[in-house]
Amino acid sequence: MSDGEHHPSAWGPHDWSHGAPHNSWSPFILSMGVAIFLFSLGAAYEWGEFQGWGSLPLIFVGLGVISFSLLVWWRQDMSFGMHGEVFEPKSTGTPFQNIDIRKVAMWMFLMSEMMVFTSLFSTYMRYRLGIPNCKTVFHSGEWVEGTAVTCFEPAGHLIASSWFHIAPGAINTFALIISSFTIVQALRYAKKKDIDEDVRRRKVTRYLGTTWFLAILFLTLKMIEWFLGFPLPEFLHEFNHGDSEIKSLYAEGYLINADSYEHKAFDTDYIEKHPEDYSIPEESALYAMMEAGTHPGGKMMANIQVSATTFYVTTGTHGAHVLGGIIGLTYMTLKAAKGGYTPDNAVSIEYFGLYWHFVDLVWVLVFPFFYLY
Amino acid sequence: MAHYKILGQDPYWMNFYGLMILTLIEVLAVGADLDSFAESVGTEEKVITLWILTIIAIPKFIMIAAIFMHLYGDEDSGILTMTALFPAFFIIIMVLFVGLTHPDAASSLPAWCRPGTYGL
Repeated sequence: MSDGEHHPSAWGPHDWSHGAPHNSWSPFILSMGVAIFLFSLGAAYEWGEFQGWGSLPLIFVGLGVISFSLLVWWRQDMSFGMHGEVFEPKSTGTPFQNIDIRKVAMWMFLMSEMMVFTSLFSTYMRYRLGIPNCKTVFHSGEWVEGTAVTCFEPAGHLIASSWFHIAPGAINTFALIISSFTIVQALRYAKKKDIDEDVRRRKVTRYLGTTWFLAILFLTLKMIEWFLGFPLPEFLHEFNHGDSEIKSLYAEGYLINADSYEHKAFDTDYIEKHPEDYSIPEESALYAMMEAGTHPGGKMMANIQVSATTFYVTTGTHGAHVLGGIIGLTYMTLKAAKGGYTPDNAVSIEYFGLYWHFVDLVWVLVFPFFYLY
Repeated sequence: MAHYKILGQDPYWMNFYGLMILTLIEVLAVGADLDSFAESVGTEEKVITLWILTIIAIPKFIMIAAIFMHLYGDEDSGILTMTALFPAFFIIIMVLFVGLTHPDAASSLPAWCRPGTYGL
């Protein structure tokens, strides 16, 4: 093809040999699709209650736009670097002179992401410090059975209640750290010049595939923790207060619309029968009231909508980022299997790696403060 | 890729080992019985746990950002670190003035900085 015949297509593979830049409308269309999908999905539910099928057409429109944009993006990028031709535009202005434009753009994107998660964290801190803790309210004795009190019940109280409950979150933490390492290894082998092309292709595919598997594992365990729970073998029942299963947060009633949440830790009758599980401190007001016969005891009912919402929104936003990573990893693994990543064309792995490490970074903070504390 | 070594070893492997060990300590700290230690320093077990988790989260955060995200050791690490730290100003504002404020803050502030009192 001569220079005069250079006609890059907006919807097809770019004409990389002519130094065509990475301009693409696909990310913009993708963000529009995600917005349509999320707004219509949000309209389908109100306080966790399904509102009917009215927004279903828009949900499918959103999914259609997302699929279309991914297809176009796929077509445009799959050819990049396949035949040795690489064009990576550099920034020319201060302060990012000579740094790849895409790298700078990725960091700008990560900065905006930091702001998103910071707002979620500050919301959590604000409510956690501003609303009295359910345990504190229970021990204060300022409640009566049958009337809900508004209090903050951290998910950590359920999750960190036993090793079995912590297990999915703990495994997820290790999975994300291992996946951060495997993506670095994928980049390392993609950039290695002194190895056979076929060895490089297999190594990069394996490491990206392992990252993909770990991301899938993360979301699977998240689903188990939120919705499914898991059974325990009989010999472990005694270590789980005699229960045969680890209940999901959903089964525990830890929901965004939980305005009458009950838990055995807030039930004086249960505590009396199972002193090995929970206790009422002797120095607490509730203990004194019950000793004096001025508090009838019973089950404290709590409105935990705020605490459950902060938990699900923050961990859900993080989970959505993992899902986005899975979509990207699926594509990259397939491209790697076709030999699409070479020492001159490994930056896509590097930039995706930045995103993936960021997802790991957020989890480094989410796990201790939402799951353990 | 990194052009340096940590203790004479590959930095990515060393970082990986370090992160795994710190995470293990994190999980064990939650399961450990710190009641007696908490009593000896005059606080609650939860507070001790929170301190341990925070102290461990900081190096984990730095290790991932510096080594895995190449904010240390590359030619462009300096300017990209500055870029990454740019939102820190807004993060501090959000955490300090939104996250850590108390519902009673408006009424418990000194009179001179309450709304309507501007010293005019």
